[in-house]
Amino acid sequence: MKQIALYGKGGIGKSTTSANLSAALSMQGLDVLQIGCDPKRDSTRMLMHGSFIPTVMDLVRERGDAQLALEDIVHTGFNGVRCVEAGGPEPGVGCAGRGIIATFQMLEKFGALSGDVIVYDVLGDVVCGGFAMPMREGYAQEVYLVTSGEIMSLYAANNICKAIRRLSQRSKSTCRLAGVICNAKNMPREDELVGEFARRVNSRLVQYIPRDRSVQVAEMHKQTVIEYAPDSEQAERYRTLALRVMENSAFTIPTPLDINELESLALEYF
Amino acid sequence: MSSNPLPSNTSRYGGCTLTGALSVTTSVAGSISIVHGPSGCAHHNFSLLHATALEHDGAEVPQILSSGLLENEIVFGGEAALGQALARAASLGPAYIFVLSTCIAETIGDDAAAVCRIDRGIPVIPIPTGGFLGGVFEKGVNNALCTIADTAPVCTRDGTVNIIGEKNLEYEVEENHAEIVRLLSALGLFVNIRFVHQILPDDIAALGRASLNILRDQGICPVGEHLKERFGTVYLPSFPSGFSGTLRFLEQAAAACGVPSRPAWSDEQAVQEDLLAGFSDLAGTCIALNGAGPASSAYGVAHDVASALRMKVSADGCRVPVPVSPPVGTAGIRRMLHRWRRAIYA
Repeated sequence: MKQIALYGKGGIGKSTTSANLSAALSMQGLDVLQIGCDPKRDSTRMLMHGSFIPTVMDLVRERGDAQLALEDIVHTGFNGVRCVEAGGPEPGVGCAGRGIIATFQMLEKFGALSGDVIVYDVLGDVVCGGFAMPMREGYAQEVYLVTSGEIMSLYAANNICKAIRRLSQRSKSTCRLAGVICNAKNMPREDELVGEFARRVNSRLVQYIPRDRSVQVAEMHKQTVIEYAPDSEQAERYRTLALRVMENSAFTIPTPLDINELESLALEYF
Repeated sequence: MSSNPLPSNTSRYGGCTLTGALSVTTSVAGSISIVHGPSGCAHHNFSLLHATALEHDGAEVPQILSSGLLENEIVFGGEAALGQALARAASLGPAYIFVLSTCIAETIGDDAAAVCRIDRGIPVIPIPTGGFLGGVFEKGVNNALCTIADTAPVCTRDGTVNIIGEKNLEYEVEENHAEIVRLLSALGLFVNIRFVHQILPDDIAALGRASLNILRDQGICPVGEHLKERFGTVYLPSFPSGFSGTLRFLEQAAAACGVPSRPAWSDEQAVQEDLLAGFSDLAGTCIALNGAGPASSAYGVAHDVASALRMKVSADGCRVPVPVSPPVGTAGIRRMLHRWRRAIYA
């Protein structure tokens, strides 16, 4: 079983990328489970044709964990992709990171972490230990950074490199950086910039995904691009990403940049 | 409650802010202390306080309730659980409800103070006690004392004396208090309240009445300053220790309260001379001091006492116990010498 996690700055397109990646993987005949690890709970929405599935944390809050069954938390979406949303507390109270940990414990209890591929779509930054849970031993061994060429997006990606590096030093850790996905804003030389960033953090650019109207159109129809426009160039890019993810064996311990290096790099391509 | 920084004292004097605060709040009669956190935080403190009460021959069971946080409350927030615990406590009709937070409640950002502000017809007093924020046992004691002090009104002083911040968990808490009462009585002074040791809720309002506050030890000087600022009450920073320290205490207390010290001073000096005469059989004995270490202030007192009795202190002498805190007053020295005599003649 392959377990991969997509991390990146909030709003950069992780959920869009994750959902299209899961859809493309499922079209290869693979049994895919996508887990949204973000209290805003919209990771799997396009796979579920616009439905917000009940989150694990909502169900625990409403019914208590003793009353839950596997079918309550795992929902089947496009092409059999199994979907889970961790959810979290109401904004401003409790601990969302602990909610992620509790969700993982529940998924373990139900034996839900199965299939050919698990895709973890994780909140923008590794803000606390809870959001590093998908990187821990037994979960995602391969972390993909989703970033554009914007400095703040690269900054967030660089921070995630720091988290991977720290976790990789633990004795049984198998978590590694598997590559960088450029979900572009269509800035000039953006592919070169993100490619160079990937190289400097000891990784590589796995896929360049330009900003494309087909994504917005598909989402207006509450579908992934893979489902809504399978013949589009954008769908082909996601399929290529899926192939590269499955074939990828170049996993590294990242070498994060300091802030001055990062800003200098961005300036070179400005 | 000492600020002794020796590594050997780190565990003794470090400790948990919550435990320090509970050692104060559970000593307010008729009150309930809610520990807002997992039940274990309440349980181990309950066990400690109950065991200590039994050591002091106290039959009182500490009145502690837990908000009983479990994983769901950690994820979704624990304020509702605190509200339920407050309702349960209020239904028991206490005079005060104290709410003490724990590390995890602070970590997840529960606003315990806001929950406490809801009117329940009973004073609900939140005390900040998240230990990981940097506090230790002593900080918890100080936070609790200052918070409770703020409930007392400013009033006219009447020449009495408050005892502030007794170590409610120490073995000789009553004996030490009795010694302070004896010394003050010799000056014609009377104790107003013991703040806070088995105090009645109504007595807290009398806190500002005293003309002098006597602090248990220097660790609670922040409380002394707080009371000075709030009520204008001067303070002595610690209970007396050693022969000369006890005589000096009489002078300082008398000066603070505007009464003569000389008769009491002379009488106490005679008491001390009688004490030494009563232990003259120990003169010439070679002893080794056994306690918290040479840097502790108790060692200084022990050396002075040994010197006054012409005893020799040497590493190969008979091991005699030195208390963790310096013996309080002349009576404290007497108890220490009884222990030394038992060790020497054993």
